[in-house]
Amino acid sequence: MRRLNWSTYAQALLMPLAAILLGLLVGAIAIWTVGGSVLTTYQEMWKGAFGSFYFTTSTLTRAVPIIFAALGVSLAFRAGFFNLGAEGQMIFGALAAALAALYVPGPGVVKMLAAIVAGMLAGGLWSTLAGWLDTKFRMNLLITTLLLNYIASLFAGYLVAFPLKEKGGSGGAQTAMLDKSVWMPKLFDGMTLHAGFIVAIVIAVLLALFLRYTTKGYEIRMLGSNPLFAAYGGVNRGRLMLMSMMMSGALAGLAGTFEVLGTQYRYIDNMLSTPGYAWSGIMATLLAGSNPIGSVAAAILLAALQTGGMGVERNTEVPLEISSVIQSSLILFVSARITFSFIKRKKARAADGHSA
Amino acid sequence: MDTLLDWSLLSSTLRTVAPLLLAALGGALCARVGIFNVALEGMMLTGAFTAILGNYLFGNVLLAILFACVCVGVLALLFGYLSIQLQANAIVVGTAMNFLATGLTAFSLFAIFGVKGQYYDQTMKGLPKWDIPLIKDIPVVGDVLSGHTPLVYLAFVLAAGLQYLMFRTVMGFRLMAVGENITAAKSLGIRVRRYQYGAVLASGILCALAGAQLSLGQVTLFAENMTAGRGFIALVATMLGQSSPLGVTASSLLFGFMDAISIRLQGFSLPTHFTMMLPYVITIVVMLFFKDKSYLRQSGRMDSK
Repeated sequence: MRRLNWSTYAQALLMPLAAILLGLLVGAIAIWTVGGSVLTTYQEMWKGAFGSFYFTTSTLTRAVPIIFAALGVSLAFRAGFFNLGAEGQMIFGALAAALAALYVPGPGVVKMLAAIVAGMLAGGLWSTLAGWLDTKFRMNLLITTLLLNYIASLFAGYLVAFPLKEKGGSGGAQTAMLDKSVWMPKLFDGMTLHAGFIVAIVIAVLLALFLRYTTKGYEIRMLGSNPLFAAYGGVNRGRLMLMSMMMSGALAGLAGTFEVLGTQYRYIDNMLSTPGYAWSGIMATLLAGSNPIGSVAAAILLAALQTGGMGVERNTEVPLEISSVIQSSLILFVSARITFSFIKRKKARAADGHSA
Repeated sequence: MDTLLDWSLLSSTLRTVAPLLLAALGGALCARVGIFNVALEGMMLTGAFTAILGNYLFGNVLLAILFACVCVGVLALLFGYLSIQLQANAIVVGTAMNFLATGLTAFSLFAIFGVKGQYYDQTMKGLPKWDIPLIKDIPVVGDVLSGHTPLVYLAFVLAAGLQYLMFRTVMGFRLMAVGENITAAKSLGIRVRRYQYGAVLASGILCALAGAQLSLGQVTLFAENMTAGRGFIALVATMLGQSSPLGVTASSLLFGFMDAISIRLQGFSLPTHFTMMLPYVITIVVMLFFKDKSYLRQSGRMDSK
């Protein structure tokens, strides 16, 4: 029994590792074609990501929103729903958090808690809207979540460009700066890493335990792996969908909330779309096969590739984009792996892959 | 530019609509064979880059477009191989392809041209503008319809051609049968994979043309991530148009018109957010009325046929 466990663990690890190696190989070819030294470039990448305490904490800071987005997406994936709406949920989460932190009266702690609750609610409700459109009107979730991203982004853009725009500020589309009392405490003096990282890790563990040991978690996994069996077993698809979409959106909302409270201290138009946190989160989930703990590791890996790419750009002739080349080939290799598990459940696959 | 609405608005609509329409037709073809092609964005971006690259290498616009078609065709075949042959999730593969395209084009921009951000060469010739003989002399209509690049006209011709192909030929019916019910299509002896590969390849070529219109049409330059989400908008236009070429044309025109209006509103420093939002809202509303049968069947809420 024990040995069997080990071999499955080894297999679960082996595939991502092979994909990472292949991704780095593709990256090496790309570096070689522009005439850079592969070894120096990868050294610089490592230094840019983990070379010093400062760089390590910057990488982890970048990983925070990716972790939250990845956790949200993986929960929805587990239940069999392709939630592509992390970006919109994140945006509304961030905006609601910024507004709560600005306008809720009271001491800093109250404001901070209000901001976190508001961020989770805004992200969760926006996500539930897509779930509701599915259960009530039978609209394709994949497309509605994608559409709701645009609507959220444009609506938030309008709010910060006109009614909520900072008075007398630099003129950019952004809200006023939050009061210092609601800023997330930094974990280390002078470093960017904030308390949101701890929260992300704790939530990842909680989510893993929830999926593994609770009845609802079991129902979610059952619905995801075999919807027909779940229906036979008396699982109410609609209610479970609304619940998992709510939780998924709330997690994405937290990604935005902690970006506002921990790094930017205000909502700035496009602050979440430009770095592509939502898509990175989806990639992390895919890389980890929707496993919450694995998603954390994958999110840190992707963040490291991104900050490492910046280091490469600073110190070598090789451009920053090398990291997107590595990231995307990594995902391509992983998606070929998904193949094997997906063949087994072609029917379930069709629900998120073949809906046109 | 004193008035909000004038005839030049329609002319610029036609111009912005062409890349959308070309890509959306590709999306529609894929949707008809049951593949949800999220990779339109990446394929369009690759098309824009390789069109400029081809123009730089061969100094000929026609060869440049051919070069773009070949390059994006290869990319599309990779997408097809992973999603059709290996049965990987098309959305996962498409998402990865989009990333790959963003990274590779920006990377190659530096590797080949040695620049970052954007490449622009003044001596490079873009697509010619065609004046249509008789029509160009008609006062208003001439201004709107004449003087576009060949690709703009090709987009509309292709839309009409595909409409005919899909709904009036045996091949079209077989194509749709593949998307409607793959098992039934197989049992009739239709070579399902061949149709799927064909559709994916065609969507690649259409996206290459769309990209070429972007980088060689109005201006001759390539900028990093210059498609700026147009591929996703094309995807939405496919949905709104219910994957029928004429419907897709109408929805692309709507998106193009809203885009042109938004640019015009910017000139008056009015908020453009709501005009840009409108097409997405309309798409959601339209989805209320048109049910997606395959989606329902897969989530077990409709008796399988």
